[in-house]
Amino acid sequence: MLLAAVMVFALCACGGQTNDPQTASGEKILNVAASFAYPGLDAHKEYYGWYTSIYGVTETLFKMGDDSTAQPCLAEDAVADGKTWTVTLKDDVCFSNGEPVTAEMAARNLQRAAQVNPRFAFLADYTIAAVDETTLTITTPEISPTLKNDLASPELAILDLDNTTDFDNAPIGTGPFVVSSFEPEGTVKVARNDNYWGGDVTLDGAVFYYMQDDDTKLMAMQNGEVDCCTGVSSAAMAVFEKEPDTYRIVSVPATRLQFYILNENRLDDAVRAAVNLTVDKDAIAEYLNGTVTAAVGPFGTATAYGKVTVPATDTAGAKALLEADGYTLNADGWYEKDGKVLSLNIAYYAARSLDTLATLIQEQLRNVGIQSTLTVEEDPDSTYIATADFDLALYCMIADKSGDPFYFIDSTLRNGAYFNVGGFESSECETLIAQLRYETDPAQRAALANEIVQIAIDDNAFGYVGLFNKTTVLRPGVSGFAETCPFDFYGIDANTDKT
Amino acid sequence: MTNYVGKRLLQLIPILIGLTFLVFTLLYIAPGDPAQRKLTAQGVAVSEQVLEQTREEMGLNRPFLVRYGDWLLGVLRGDFGASYKDGMPVLPKLMRCMGNTLVLAAGSLLLALVVSVPLGVLTAARRGGVIDRLVRLLTFVGNAMPNFLVSVLLMYYLCIQVNLFPVIAKGTVQGLFLPALALAIPMASRFIRQIRAEVLEELGKPYVAGALARGVAMRTVLVHDVLRNTLSGVLTIVGLSVGTLMGGSVVVETIFRWPGVGQLVMDAISARDFPVIQGFVLLMAVIYVVVNLLTDLSYRALDPRVELE
Repeated sequence: MLLAAVMVFALCACGGQTNDPQTASGEKILNVAASFAYPGLDAHKEYYGWYTSIYGVTETLFKMGDDSTAQPCLAEDAVADGKTWTVTLKDDVCFSNGEPVTAEMAARNLQRAAQVNPRFAFLADYTIAAVDETTLTITTPEISPTLKNDLASPELAILDLDNTTDFDNAPIGTGPFVVSSFEPEGTVKVARNDNYWGGDVTLDGAVFYYMQDDDTKLMAMQNGEVDCCTGVSSAAMAVFEKEPDTYRIVSVPATRLQFYILNENRLDDAVRAAVNLTVDKDAIAEYLNGTVTAAVGPFGTATAYGKVTVPATDTAGAKALLEADGYTLNADGWYEKDGKVLSLNIAYYAARSLDTLATLIQEQLRNVGIQSTLTVEEDPDSTYIATADFDLALYCMIADKSGDPFYFIDSTLRNGAYFNVGGFESSECETLIAQLRYETDPAQRAALANEIVQIAIDDNAFGYVGLFNKTTVLRPGVSGFAETCPFDFYGIDANTDKT
Repeated sequence: MTNYVGKRLLQLIPILIGLTFLVFTLLYIAPGDPAQRKLTAQGVAVSEQVLEQTREEMGLNRPFLVRYGDWLLGVLRGDFGASYKDGMPVLPKLMRCMGNTLVLAAGSLLLALVVSVPLGVLTAARRGGVIDRLVRLLTFVGNAMPNFLVSVLLMYYLCIQVNLFPVIAKGTVQGLFLPALALAIPMASRFIRQIRAEVLEELGKPYVAGALARGVAMRTVLVHDVLRNTLSGVLTIVGLSVGTLMGGSVVVETIFRWPGVGQLVMDAISARDFPVIQGFVLLMAVIYVVVNLLTDLSYRALDPRVELE
């Protein structure tokens, strides 16, 4: 009876379905499974600009390339002269309504972002002025070597402030697509921008379906209802990998870093060094089934500022270090000193696979005779990061937000920095960080960054475990979904195709 | 009757104040900074200066009682505040999702009742028979299966294997069916067992034996007497299920992309979005009390001997 009721209801309810309803009309519509959805599309607010950029609706003056360098987009170039940058816009750049993008409009956009987004409030201290139709100057209070990278932040998208009447639902941008329908925290549909300044747009449109659940994403891909998805779990990846003819998997090390802080106020040099020699990043990456790449330093090794070295995993060396420091193995197989068992408190929170990481590290430490207990917190910032009550603290954050190492170094290695809670102190580092802050030559910046991070590595202040891979799964014939770019905030563009 | 309803609604006022104060206190003492959650939603660290400025703008630095008092006064004016996460007004946001959740709840209740009332009566009437044993086994399995497993299995078989439904459901009856079924299966399993027990109790009463002795057909006794007398029990379990359906369908909503209130509140809890959580608690409390009141009133309507006190 149950089955009969179900089937009757199902057959009545079911109007028949096609695996790709959007292409029924012959249009090239890309269907995408989106892991996040937001209540508004005002690119300047919160992180909404990340999504308008993924949707191909908004663009910025510069954009980040696959090699993590800031490249021209709406702007042709930006040249610094001391504290003043002169930004030149490209000719014939226009909004989707055909209105030209002027220097004055670009300046007003940056000023608006400063007003509505606290993370960009620093722009209010800059003097931003249009010189002529295509040139604007930005004068900063101090030398700002990374301004071009900052201008590539998707939150600094250039919108038509004069003609946009509904910023939350229908912003007018310069991208190859325009919003055709928007459900807050739901499905977003975009259509080709026929006035796109960058030339022909290959797709007719795209639909972004909000899907939080990994199984739903997987089944929508299997059913052919979506053409591509990102943020793939290791379990789903195993399924996709079995069918290489049906799914193309592109995986690049991205910018989100899993790392741990070793508390120098509680652990002596030998113990910290032993921990770092014990943690096997390659084994962890293998266990996480391709969702992360084993890290060397905090940045991708392909970048100029990711050239640091760490000792290879060496459990025998770790044991030797502990024994040289006076630790001996007790009858239970744990290292102890002066009758006290060496036991570490590993603090973590259950997100971004840190729970798995904590368990794996605990197991690896146990194999060399280091005891540890796991302490899980729901909110790391107001608990162990605030109190420094840990021996080893796990954390995950974006290490490279705009193709420059300064943000991460300044957040974690500077004296008094928010994440420098493990007692790391180095006067040499302080001097180098001060230099890095104002260094304008990219090669020199990279060299300084490498030197600074190497000091922290040699001091065993941190352990950089893994960089999350940005994994994109595409059905055959789909290309150009920013799958080779390490940054999370790019998606469809004029060249995205579905054949 | 009017006095009774008025008295019950008046009792709602201290309940709501007590409940919202309790929840506000728990949120206040729980670790987690809404400003920090909002600014670092994508894993980008921010400076302490930006954090402090945002806390100030969000009013998080004001004393606890001032914040609660402001919120309560706002609610009295019909203003539930703005979401910490996105600055949108809480009430329209909640109402939009609550509407979807109500539709899902109604759909799943309907499905569960359509299946469980006849099966509950049938298994009681055929106690110990093959049908009874089979249905009890199925209800045991249905009860034991968590919602997420039911949801994924339904999606896998009906969408992928049989291709009867699309995975990406739109806001139509077709889109409603699978999530409603996922919620209905465990609920119907509970209902069937409870209805069966109620019917068995009734069947043991003298009036049933008397009717059967007078030659009244079992079917007539079941439909006209037993079923009618078990209705109050059915209403009780339906009333109790409303709370579970309104707040506990988050997993099903997430898997089937159903934009309901469960998903909204889970996001709000992660983001420490106090205004949304407070608004949800308030609405849920009202719904719960009203449903209980309606259940009590229905007892009286079904059986005039019941006195409302």
